[in-house]
Amino acid sequence: MTILDARNISKRYGGLAALTDVDMTVSAGEFVAIIGPNGAGKSTLLNVFTGLVVPDSGAVLLAGNDVTRHATNRRIKAGLGRTFQHGRTFPRLTVLENVMVGAAICPTLGERALRESALQIIEQMGLADIADNAIRTLSYGHRRMVELARAVACNPKVLLLDEPAAGLNSAEVAQLVKRLAHLREKHQLAVVLIEHNMGMVMRLAERIVVLNFGSKIAEGAPAEIQANPAVLSAYLGEGYAHARV
Amino acid sequence: MRILRSFGLALCILAAGGVLSLVLPEYHLRLLNLSVVASIAVIGLNIAFGYVGLISLGHAAFVGLGAYIMAISTTRLGLSPWLAMPAAVAATAAFAVAIGLPLLRLKGHYLALATLGLNVSFVIVASNWLEMTGGTNGIAQIPSFSILHHAISDERSFLWLALVSLTLVVVVATLLHHSRYGRALISVRDDELAAEMTGIDTTRLKIMGFAFSAAYAAFAGCLFASHVRFISPEDFSYAHSINYLAMLIVGGEGTIVGAILGSVLLTFLPEWLRFLGNAYLALFGLLVFLVLVFLPTGIVGLRKFVRGPSRVDRSVQAAAEVRP
Repeated sequence: MTILDARNISKRYGGLAALTDVDMTVSAGEFVAIIGPNGAGKSTLLNVFTGLVVPDSGAVLLAGNDVTRHATNRRIKAGLGRTFQHGRTFPRLTVLENVMVGAAICPTLGERALRESALQIIEQMGLADIADNAIRTLSYGHRRMVELARAVACNPKVLLLDEPAAGLNSAEVAQLVKRLAHLREKHQLAVVLIEHNMGMVMRLAERIVVLNFGSKIAEGAPAEIQANPAVLSAYLGEGYAHARV
Repeated sequence: MRILRSFGLALCILAAGGVLSLVLPEYHLRLLNLSVVASIAVIGLNIAFGYVGLISLGHAAFVGLGAYIMAISTTRLGLSPWLAMPAAVAATAAFAVAIGLPLLRLKGHYLALATLGLNVSFVIVASNWLEMTGGTNGIAQIPSFSILHHAISDERSFLWLALVSLTLVVVVATLLHHSRYGRALISVRDDELAAEMTGIDTTRLKIMGFAFSAAYAAFAGCLFASHVRFISPEDFSYAHSINYLAMLIVGGEGTIVGAILGSVLLTFLPEWLRFLGNAYLALFGLLVFLVLVFLPTGIVGLRKFVRGPSRVDRSVQAAAEVRP
């Protein structure tokens, strides 16, 4: 079942075509990665999904409903979740309070239930030891985990992750991969991942969409993408296929 | 735990007020009453500015609106102050929603200037709408509150009314702070985009925070009107708005205790410096400047010198020790 459907999305900034007739679908529970060089339009596409950018043409359907003109908060309530490229948390709140802000998307939860729901997610994310810590005391890696926990607390059907591994060391990336796989299984999440860390992409993604200069140049399983000449030429580099061998 | 601590604070306010009402002379009681009323207004400003980050230089207009509605409905319509007060608070909150819809599209210094304009406009209307407000002559003989036919007109009785009101306001503000709405308000100031990404309708929430803040201001305005029993436009000029903002920043923005401490300090300071004559403003400015430079979190920041580093400071220290 298709949960997120973007049809013929185009967006121009003056003379620059950020996105040109991009189609993309995400099925329930699927893990899709979007890759491409810097400036290819990956983040713009995520912004179109979340309503931060209104496309010039095309439509975004969430669970079959057209949300193209809906405000961001309505899309989040309808089942989208998102993290940002540079990690955005609420520094005046603790880790627990940050996640409780996300969990509060469910209007019927009382204060005690909110706390319990947030604590469960914090536990799953391995943040239990720092639940009462203020955000400004945390490392960058921990802050990104808190942001991810907050997005999961919003109970999304599709989680959009914008370069979650950027700025993390290899141990933190390994931890992130483990957590994402676990979260996906536990919460039956569909995930859309933008990432330059190809090891992470190839390990997690079931399908990869490749953008270049705002257009989709390829789509397929990781093995197909790694062998696609257009992708090798535009992004991965001719040496990538040889390196794998 | 934190809520219990705040209830403790409310009890401390009542106990301290009780003792002070017995020992202070009449004139100091009057100042204390004015500072308690200002505290209520500043706790309201703390919701708009301290939590949501809306820089308002028009808070005195809402205090004034509450005071004028109270004064007009008691003196002209003969309404009891007990009925006029909730009407004034509700009408002011409704006005804040109406004005907030266009105003809160602005951010930062644009919003500050727009709210300043609102305050200036309020004073112009209050000064020139002679039939309704009495213009610069103001409105006199505003009735006091009364309980069981006992008018709360002397300073000592009014102090009790003001303290009970402040206690109520502190409890409501504390419950708000630790609720889902309080966290949402704080998250909007910290990162509006990230807040929107958690499903919060940030526009609606900012209007709610603004209206709540205005309701507190109107409540303070009603108490002010029934205490002084005479109001005129200059009681609500933009200079008062700036004073409220100074009280909050000096006391410690984002905290209820800071709002109260700042209000009391900045109400009494001009009196303590009266011996300096006109030069007091220079020393007053210097003191405010020193607080801002050396205590950026306001005078509530002094508590770390009294009871050691806060939980946040301790965890920063612990994190620094763990890192190589």
